[in-house]
Amino acid sequence: MGDRSRLERALGGASAVLAGAVSTLLGTCGPFMDVAADAFCPFVLEIFYLGITTGTTAATYDPTANVNRLQMAAFLSRTVDGALKRGGRRAALDQFWTAQSAGVLGITTGVGLGPALVAADGADIWVAAYTDGVVTRVRASDGKLLGTWIDADNAWGVLPAMGRIFVSASLLFGPGALYRIDPSQPPGSVAAVATNLGNAPQALTFDGARIWTANYVTPGSVSIVTPGASLPWTVTNVTSGFISPVGAIYDGANVWVTDKNQGRLFKLDAAGAVIKEVIVGTDPRYPAFDGGNIWVPNHVSNSVSVVRASSGAILVTLTGNGLNHPAAVAFDGQRILVTNGDTDTVSLFKAADLTAAGTFSTGAGSLPWGACSDGVNFWIAFQGTASLGRF
Amino acid sequence: MRFRAGSRLAAGCLAALAALIAGGGASLLGTCGPFTDVAADAFCPLVLEVFYMGITTGTTPTTYDPTSNVSRLQMAAFLSRTVDGVVRRGSRRSALDQFWNAATQVTTVGTAPIGVKSDGLDVWVANNGSGTVSRVRASDGKLVDTWTGSLGGRAVVCAGGKVNVVAASTPNGTLYHIDPLQPPGAASVVATNLGDLSRAIAFDGSRLWTANNFSVSIVTPTAIPPWTVTTVTTGFGQMGGVVFDGSHIWATDGSAASLVQLGPSGAILQTVTVGALPQFPVFDGTNIWVPNFTGTSISIVRASTGAVLATLTGNGLSQPASGAFDGQRVLITSNNSSNVSLWKAADLTPLGFFDVGANSSRACSDGIDFWITQASAGTLVRF
Repeated sequence: MGDRSRLERALGGASAVLAGAVSTLLGTCGPFMDVAADAFCPFVLEIFYLGITTGTTAATYDPTANVNRLQMAAFLSRTVDGALKRGGRRAALDQFWTAQSAGVLGITTGVGLGPALVAADGADIWVAAYTDGVVTRVRASDGKLLGTWIDADNAWGVLPAMGRIFVSASLLFGPGALYRIDPSQPPGSVAAVATNLGNAPQALTFDGARIWTANYVTPGSVSIVTPGASLPWTVTNVTSGFISPVGAIYDGANVWVTDKNQGRLFKLDAAGAVIKEVIVGTDPRYPAFDGGNIWVPNHVSNSVSVVRASSGAILVTLTGNGLNHPAAVAFDGQRILVTNGDTDTVSLFKAADLTAAGTFSTGAGSLPWGACSDGVNFWIAFQGTASLGRF
Repeated sequence: MRFRAGSRLAAGCLAALAALIAGGGASLLGTCGPFTDVAADAFCPLVLEVFYMGITTGTTPTTYDPTSNVSRLQMAAFLSRTVDGVVRRGSRRSALDQFWNAATQVTTVGTAPIGVKSDGLDVWVANNGSGTVSRVRASDGKLVDTWTGSLGGRAVVCAGGKVNVVAASTPNGTLYHIDPLQPPGAASVVATNLGDLSRAIAFDGSRLWTANNFSVSIVTPTAIPPWTVTTVTTGFGQMGGVVFDGSHIWATDGSAASLVQLGPSGAILQTVTVGALPQFPVFDGTNIWVPNFTGTSISIVRASTGAVLATLTGNGLSQPASGAFDGQRVLITSNNSSNVSLWKAADLTPLGFFDVGANSSRACSDGIDFWITQASAGTLVRF
């Protein structure tokens, strides 16, 4: 017994008797003359309307033929693309555009000098500004600057987690610090939850229980911070195998860090030990995880290494598409954005098939650096103009 | 009790035992979930996922027939269920546990609200009669702010954190601009030389496009107003709505009963014949839904080819005027009935029509709710 008969039984012979009607269809099932108007017809029509199939001809679908693996690849990739495109918030907001020029970027100024990395909490964007040592909160809907937190000396990375905002203090000499902000309170000074991190922590990430930082300056290290009932929080610094970690992401199972001077992406176990070493390009910076793969921007190699998280295999090394000293990567569910600080541009890629989607100017002197997505827009820290841009 | 290795009973019991040990689901009788013909190997979790997600029902309740080929007909069922499941699960409505279809809240805005758009957090409404723009917070429907001075405001687009409102003034349409960062006050006038009676507006990533009587205007924002306007008349009748599909601008021509695809300079690249008096269309990521006002129908046009895939009728359509898409569903407003019509976007099947209390004008989605303007009632409805 085939799936078809099973389905027919399940549907009890229900057919396409609809409250409305669809006309202009010449075949027995939509445009198809070789598909019966039975319980399977709506499925065939759905994948036709979605553009997953075009039929074998304009009027035939060839329903009884088997699907070979090559055809299956086309069907599945179109299925994924269609589902993601429809399901994205941009589709619901009728925003199918890509900002074509710097003039149409929404710019928020006043985020402090030296904005480094940025992150979204779902409603607002948080910006860590290194030079001024401030953290700012910007409302995503209209770019309004909602508040500025001070005393965040050398703020570099920012992480929304546990309903709080955590900021790494990238002090060049001596141990780094981890600051905390309570967004429900009025803006004021940040509070340190730990002051004994490794030297110069940059990116930070959260694994559901602990906060991890990548600490850049000798001796390079990774700090694992365990939240506790009282301050300071417990810090474990791991140095073995590291020279200069800068980027850190969590893939749902493991933390990964990029090591700038070693040109490596390291997969870490729960104790911070290196359990996989991936040789990427020269000077890897701030990567992003797209749910399947890790995108590593190689600053000096002018490339992006795409690494499969489950295996550590490098799927491809992307070049071109305007990649020029790439610094940071962000993912919005469909697209990957890479900042190119030296050329005041960003490069876009379609995340599902790694194809280039163009290079876009962010304005002369903008110096795009950190980037994140809130699911609708990308947000980019402009070091050159001490501002935050909506892309 | 003794088991013989390799026996079906033994395998089944072992699987059940394994499931118990793993804390897994009960009533698993087969070797892989309910299936007795699928081995408990590396493929089993993948088979179970498509079973649990409802993508397959198996060939019988206890068999999956793992070695059979898939026919194109069966594949159609698998793939369409895959899209449905992913889109439904991935939507913000699922995460918020909001699976209902109903009008649930009414917010009183200005006089004759027509244009409506979400910026992701707030909903912006152009009140044609009072010449005001209302900002309504989507989470609770609270009227947050009101801007003034947008006489004849008819349509809204939110882009770059700003709000642009086009007014159907004559003989030239007007474009208003609101910076939500500023305290509420008078909207800025950024162009007064659009084509006659501008009714709709869209953004393509660099320029704004308005649909006017016998023309389309292309507006390039500049640092200092007025913004640069190019108005193109060649080939245009009484234009209705305008939509951007990620590659091209499309506009409806009410007098010609057509949907036209435009090039970057406003030249008509393609003309698609739709129903009578097409109004304000919406793009669902693949297809353009064109409400035909006097045709009492919806033309479904594939954006990549311009082919009309289907023409929808019934389902409560009554002077359909405007469409909105929320990622799963398309809502169509009715100009002369208090019903709105709902469709499943993926397969164009009707989901029914619903009373929203008054005739409706236009609609948008914020990804959770639809927001419907009712010009005659002066209200904004959350659906």
